[in-house]
Amino acid sequence: MPFLYTAWTIKHKPKSTNEIVGNKSAIKTLRDWLNSWERGAPKKRAAFLYGPPGIGKTVTVEALAHELQMELVEKNASDYRTEDAINRFAGLASQYGSLFGGKRIVLLDELDGLMGNADKGGVKAITNVVKTARCPIVLIANNAYNPRFRTLRGYCLLIEFKKPPAKTVLKHLQRINEREGIQSDENVLKFLAQRAEGDVRSAVNDFQALAQGKKQLKYDDVSWLAYRDRHESIFNVIKLIIYGRTSSGAKKAVNMADVDIDMLFEWIYENAPAHLNDPEDLVQAMDALAMADIYRGRIRASQDWSFMRYVIDYMTAGVAMARQNSKVSGWVPFKFPSRIMMLSRSKAKRAMLKKIGLKIKRKCHISANRASSEVLPYLRIIFKNNVLMAAGIARWLDLDEEMVDYIAESKSKAQKIIENLS
Amino acid sequence: MSFEVWAEKYRPKRLSDMINQKTIVERLKSFAISRNVPHCIFAGPPGTGKTTAALCLARDLYGESYREHLMELNASDERGINVVRETVKTFARSRSIGEIPFKILILDEADNMTSDAQQALRRTMERYTETCRFIMCANYSGKIIEPIQSRCAPFRFGFLPREEHDAYIKQLAERENVPLLPDGVEAIFEVCSGDLRRAINTLQAAASMNMPIDSLLIYSVTGKASPVDVQKMLTTAISGDFLGARKQLRDMIQKYGVAGTDIIRQIHKEIFKAAISEPWKIKLAGIIGEIDFRLVEGSDEEVQLSALLARLVEAGNKIEKGK
Repeated sequence: MPFLYTAWTIKHKPKSTNEIVGNKSAIKTLRDWLNSWERGAPKKRAAFLYGPPGIGKTVTVEALAHELQMELVEKNASDYRTEDAINRFAGLASQYGSLFGGKRIVLLDELDGLMGNADKGGVKAITNVVKTARCPIVLIANNAYNPRFRTLRGYCLLIEFKKPPAKTVLKHLQRINEREGIQSDENVLKFLAQRAEGDVRSAVNDFQALAQGKKQLKYDDVSWLAYRDRHESIFNVIKLIIYGRTSSGAKKAVNMADVDIDMLFEWIYENAPAHLNDPEDLVQAMDALAMADIYRGRIRASQDWSFMRYVIDYMTAGVAMARQNSKVSGWVPFKFPSRIMMLSRSKAKRAMLKKIGLKIKRKCHISANRASSEVLPYLRIIFKNNVLMAAGIARWLDLDEEMVDYIAESKSKAQKIIENLS
Repeated sequence: MSFEVWAEKYRPKRLSDMINQKTIVERLKSFAISRNVPHCIFAGPPGTGKTTAALCLARDLYGESYREHLMELNASDERGINVVRETVKTFARSRSIGEIPFKILILDEADNMTSDAQQALRRTMERYTETCRFIMCANYSGKIIEPIQSRCAPFRFGFLPREEHDAYIKQLAERENVPLLPDGVEAIFEVCSGDLRRAINTLQAAASMNMPIDSLLIYSVTGKASPVDVQKMLTTAISGDFLGARKQLRDMIQKYGVAGTDIIRQIHKEIFKAAISEPWKIKLAGIIGEIDFRLVEGSDEEVQLSALLARLVEAGNKIEKGK
């Protein structure tokens, strides 16, 4: 079963505002506004924080509440659809102090989640509550200038959060790096900070996916990320597939991925098993991937690319619908396909295998491929145990020093064998 | 103890040196005497003397200068259609110098040729029969297309019988002056099941340790030599660790270059010994067969075998629940 970890975005969430990277003036504006409630309700009863995802809007509110010793009542805006919930919200907002004398902030997060006509009433209800609120209300959305918020905006103090520069994101990553006790190359963190383009949360997620469980992180371990889609991260795409609830939803995710189908297949094939802990679900998912692979083979054989639709059906909907009984608790990081990583890492090794295989082939009437799996393992044993026999065979096969090195798997052994070559 | 590869040192030179495949050898001898050879298919498991028989036949036909009249190609290294179009054709159509009007082309591991290449080969075989005779060596003759099969004389090679294997290995140990104990001989047969090349390689690797060769030494050698620890992988899967089992599979394929068909053959052998319920064994055998077929069709080895590993996880889970 997979190891479960806490997400680093939660584990290393800033506890105070000075740990938050960037947006210093926005934080100050919000703090001043919250403090102004001490002198009675200000003209604008709500603060509307807006800006791109993952830059610390919610975290700022949480940290300020903590610092100002206020009680934070946090709600997801999309819950505010029923009259009941709105009434409860209105009730909360109608008093400044809570029952125990503390002061209260009501936070409505993810306002963007209110969509379409069905939620039109929701925005209106929220506006009404804001007009008469007796405690600070904080609203958060990615885009405050959505026409739906036009009326609401008029009653709010607008505070823009901007993407922090890479240098600032780097500071946050360095802090986590230190706390986790990882030896990371300096350029690893720089690279992660830069490619996040201000999205601190995604930088931390990437960092965790790469570094979790490791003591060291080298540039080679992360450079592949450069190929990752900047707009819709591959992590989100495979999440939509592996945790997809509907066939069509899982299928649609393909269009969002900026990698080709084969690469997407590798991502799903790598990650799906760790997210399916029920054996029967696992069988269904792996069968679906095997079927997708068969259709890939049929495309190769027939060159008829119209079969691609079945490849996509199986690798997306097939995998999504496999989830029947699996319960995944905790956070399992998505990983880069390790067999691709292995392929590129073992390239030099395989080239060496091939070279030795060809030497064996010349003498032993066996294909180079077979030689490396059927003859080489025995040579390894001989090269480890018997210098003279190894030297004799090396001479007979006409191996060079590099090859002897490789087979003996030890510099000193190889040196002894080479000394006996002449 | 000699310091070269024993399997090559002791490879028979002439048909009369060959200790096994008596009936096949007799027929090949008659080809050599009549100085005529048809196209042949040598089919059989590895290490049973297919390539050796072909080389011996060539030497019996042409004498020590046989290399001039012979070409050895290995289909698993050169499997594409271009090899057939160029290398094979160029060799096949040029006339042979000497008394025998044809040359011999040994196509080893011919079952690894793509079907396109085989189709191309079929025409070449037909057109240049006068100047070239083909000997195709293969593990499975079924992977060779019908039209080629029908143009060839088939020869089925089988594993060495136990007595002959033991006698040969003992004799070889004597000639190399290495101490081989009786249970060592037995162990070699058990782990190599009559594959003579493997048996000789195993013996030599064991001998390199300069110890009396008993069964324990043989097992430790094969343990180290075999990257295909299928049993371990199956146990890992049955215990519920799918990711661990898949990692082992990946190592076999990527690090050691083991062919998927070799892995599945061993899985098939092991599955009836595995710790799973009886009805599951036959169910799995059916799935193994299906996956074997998919591999032959050219599907991704790791992806297909992973689907099988998932089934093993399920089978192991059912046992745990007593179902």
